[in-house]
Amino acid sequence: MHRKTGFSGRGAALTRRHFVQATAAIGLTLGGLPKAAFASDAEEKQLNFYNWDTYIGETTLADFEEATGIAVKMDLFAENDELFAKLREGNPGYDVIVPTSNWVARMAAADMLAPIDHGRIPNIRHLDQRLMEDDAFDPGHKFSLPYMWGTIGIGYRKSKFPEPPSSLKWLYDSGKYSGRISLMSECDFLLGMALKYLGYSLNSTDSAQIAQAEALLIKQKPHIKSFAEDNGQDLLASGEVDLALEWSGDIAQLMAEDDDIGYVLPSEGGAMWQDTLAIPKGAPHPQNAHAFINFIHEPRVNADITRLVRYATPNQAALAQMDAAYMQNPAIFPPAALLAKSEMILYQGEQAISARQEACTRIFAA
Amino acid sequence: MRILFRRARPGPLEYHRRWPLRLVMAAALLFLYAPLVALMAFSFNDSRRNIVWHGFTLKYYEKLFANTELMLAFANSLTIALCSTLISIILGLSAAYGLWRFRFPGRTLYQSVMAMPIVIPEICMGVAMMAFMARTGWPQDLVWPFNLGAIIIAHSAFSFPFAAIVIQARLESFNRELADCAQNLGAGEFRVFCDIILPHLRPAIVAGGLLTFTLSLDDFVITFFTSGPDSVTFPVKIYSMVRFSVTPEVNAASTLLIVITVALTALALRLQQRAAAGVPAQ
Amino acid sequence: MESWRKSPRAWALSMLAPGMWLALFFLAPLSLLWLISFGVKTGITSIDIDWTLANYARAAQPLYLAIFLKSLWIAAATTTICLIIALPVALVISFAPQQLRAWLLLLMILPFWTNLLIRTYALIAVLRGSGHVNSVLGWLWQLPDGLLAMIGLGGHHLMGAQFTPLEILYTDGAVVIGLIYVHLPFMVLPLYAALNSMDRSLIEASLDLGAGHVRTFFFIVIPLALPGIISGVILTFIPALGSYLTPDLLGGPGSQMIANVIERQFKAANDWPFGAALSFLLMYAAFFGLALRGLADRRAAQPGGAW
Repeated sequence: MHRKTGFSGRGAALTRRHFVQATAAIGLTLGGLPKAAFASDAEEKQLNFYNWDTYIGETTLADFEEATGIAVKMDLFAENDELFAKLREGNPGYDVIVPTSNWVARMAAADMLAPIDHGRIPNIRHLDQRLMEDDAFDPGHKFSLPYMWGTIGIGYRKSKFPEPPSSLKWLYDSGKYSGRISLMSECDFLLGMALKYLGYSLNSTDSAQIAQAEALLIKQKPHIKSFAEDNGQDLLASGEVDLALEWSGDIAQLMAEDDDIGYVLPSEGGAMWQDTLAIPKGAPHPQNAHAFINFIHEPRVNADITRLVRYATPNQAALAQMDAAYMQNPAIFPPAALLAKSEMILYQGEQAISARQEACTRIFAA
Repeated sequence: MRILFRRARPGPLEYHRRWPLRLVMAAALLFLYAPLVALMAFSFNDSRRNIVWHGFTLKYYEKLFANTELMLAFANSLTIALCSTLISIILGLSAAYGLWRFRFPGRTLYQSVMAMPIVIPEICMGVAMMAFMARTGWPQDLVWPFNLGAIIIAHSAFSFPFAAIVIQARLESFNRELADCAQNLGAGEFRVFCDIILPHLRPAIVAGGLLTFTLSLDDFVITFFTSGPDSVTFPVKIYSMVRFSVTPEVNAASTLLIVITVALTALALRLQQRAAAGVPAQ
Repeated sequence: MESWRKSPRAWALSMLAPGMWLALFFLAPLSLLWLISFGVKTGITSIDIDWTLANYARAAQPLYLAIFLKSLWIAAATTTICLIIALPVALVISFAPQQLRAWLLLLMILPFWTNLLIRTYALIAVLRGSGHVNSVLGWLWQLPDGLLAMIGLGGHHLMGAQFTPLEILYTDGAVVIGLIYVHLPFMVLPLYAALNSMDRSLIEASLDLGAGHVRTFFFIVIPLALPGIISGVILTFIPALGSYLTPDLLGGPGSQMIANVIERQFKAANDWPFGAALSFLLMYAAFFGLALRGLADRRAAQPGGAW
């Protein structure tokens, strides 16, 4: 039995083919016209924001649109190196990004950031002076302004510890909690905290010291459950581990839901970091970008953001509006003595990163 | 009387009725579905962290539908998958047919090059595409859906060899004499292709199409490197959301996706059955 | 197979479009990457094509070779288990009546339209210490005690004092399970396509002549379905070798595979030349396997060969 299919003969097929070709040609031409050709000289009311997940208030973007008429489109990234990889070959259209301090230095060195005009950000006066002065990663805050800051320390399950496990020893140099430990997979902090435990600087580039840290980690590896890719707080929450080296804000968010979770900065000192707002080079709407950054540091707005995000805000006016539970949370505001011992994570150059990455590859492969 | 109530023993080729095979099938289906059923059940969990069951709620579904960015990302993913499947089937069919039929210098080379997209780690392909597009000045601010063009092209480039392989496997069982016969009877080449070869290939085309649709919808790495602010896809969006933890909202989104794909596939299969039913049994 | 000269127009029509697509959107980007693998970093984002072999030399160090071998091993284990599971499944599906076949195929394919990330997290929820597998095992573990308690003989703790959950997650085993979970349809679909087009009368003949089902399966079905099996193996082994999200999320401290290392070079380490060199080494190795297949094909297609 001869089954009829779609095409019905060569003649018809040729005509159909021409039609399809013509349509495709028209379509491609129309699509090829960039949107900019139809824009006017003034910046269009649009902003492209590249941010971490759950790192902005629930209504912040809507509020901004209401206040200025500028619509914000927010994309999310999961790690700094993702952000870097995305922008490396040229800015695909982002106006405001949120790099961590050590990456700001790297991106500035690679000429990927546009300078911020402090004059257009009056709310800069609300920012904590001490934090503004801690600008080794970006002298004069030329390319970035602080957004949130925090620490890396030890999250733990209170019921399993009669007193808080305040030393890095329990994570890096002891089999006491074997199989109940998770460390970070981010190389800078993994090796950095090992170095701090050994008494060296977080940002050390000394190859002997790094080799020592590597040996320590390889020795400790059998006791480690997982090198968490930033889901350490999940492991803690689900009871997979009892000790986790984690970001302060992640643990703080967990603490809001689970009373049995605690956070402590190790006695050897933890790591400090700042997340910053920056404008990448080639941003299509730099004016809007400045307006947005200014808006974020509006005290009321900033307080809203902070209430959700639960990291430490550098905005003093916003701090004044926060509740006592937040202000006294040791995960968000660790004791000053321990903070003094903690070091800000710094970018030390490509060679240093390469050396650390090799060490980490060896650790993961061992 | 006994014969009436005893079920007929399985025939020699009725593998689906033999208990060892049924067991394997059931075990495989259990393995595949248990995690997903749990995932869907937990989308109703009243707990942000979603580790332990706390209570039933629909609020995460409300959040989901209110999340326009997630919906947009989902629409993007579907568009990309459809377009790239279409392109992949055309290219894969074309390539498989040519490779099967013709002997020409460089045939092995052609086959090897076609196999390469399968060989390459996705990240390598993704980075290569990203660098390529940056260096060749690919226009960045195109209007929808053409801004998805880069991703569609990247997806079809790496998925059409999969379709080609599946179709090629099926072609190898095709009896060339049928085609020769038809030509001898006066059919033109194109006619032979459409009326003789294509029907034989139908299951392979469906299988290949399903495969490439799956590959495109699921893809994260290559999409990540070729997408921009306007062209976020569902997997990329999800990855950044699950970075901290899987909230029931993400579970709700995947449940929705599963429901939609079930509907679509059921529709596709129903259409195919109807088409097949149009032919009287031979 | 006829020579292309016999109908050059048909040849051009069928080979040109895929060829051009490959050249422009596949070979060109890859050539760029290949050039980069001979490059050296001269700055944070700038690379100089020096034609140096330093990256390849570095990739041949024992550290990276060991990782490579481990990846091969995990991928091989995944492929083998997938094949063992997929053969009976494909058999059941392709021999089922039309209506049932559609449903079974749908059931098999459906899970794989869920996003990979979601599925992996779903697996985490199943495999972890407090997950579903351990919940079931824990329930089963206390069952003998529970039953004894019902008849008044409780308190014996037949299975030991405390249930220790199985540590499945964050091990190599979890990675293999995850990879099987992801790659099963890539094995089932080609097998199904091949089995579907097989001449069933041969099986019937074999059974009639007295061979049992198992014998028929190994000596008739498998050889006939061989092209499908080979397709399935290739479609499973190679992506498994190059996967990185699964070992990343499900693996333990020692479970990194070669793709994880490559990913790190392109992201955190920002060392594109080295990453490019590693990827190309991986490709050459898999390419070698494909070349073997090509040779086997050519031998089979010669006169006096298999057919």
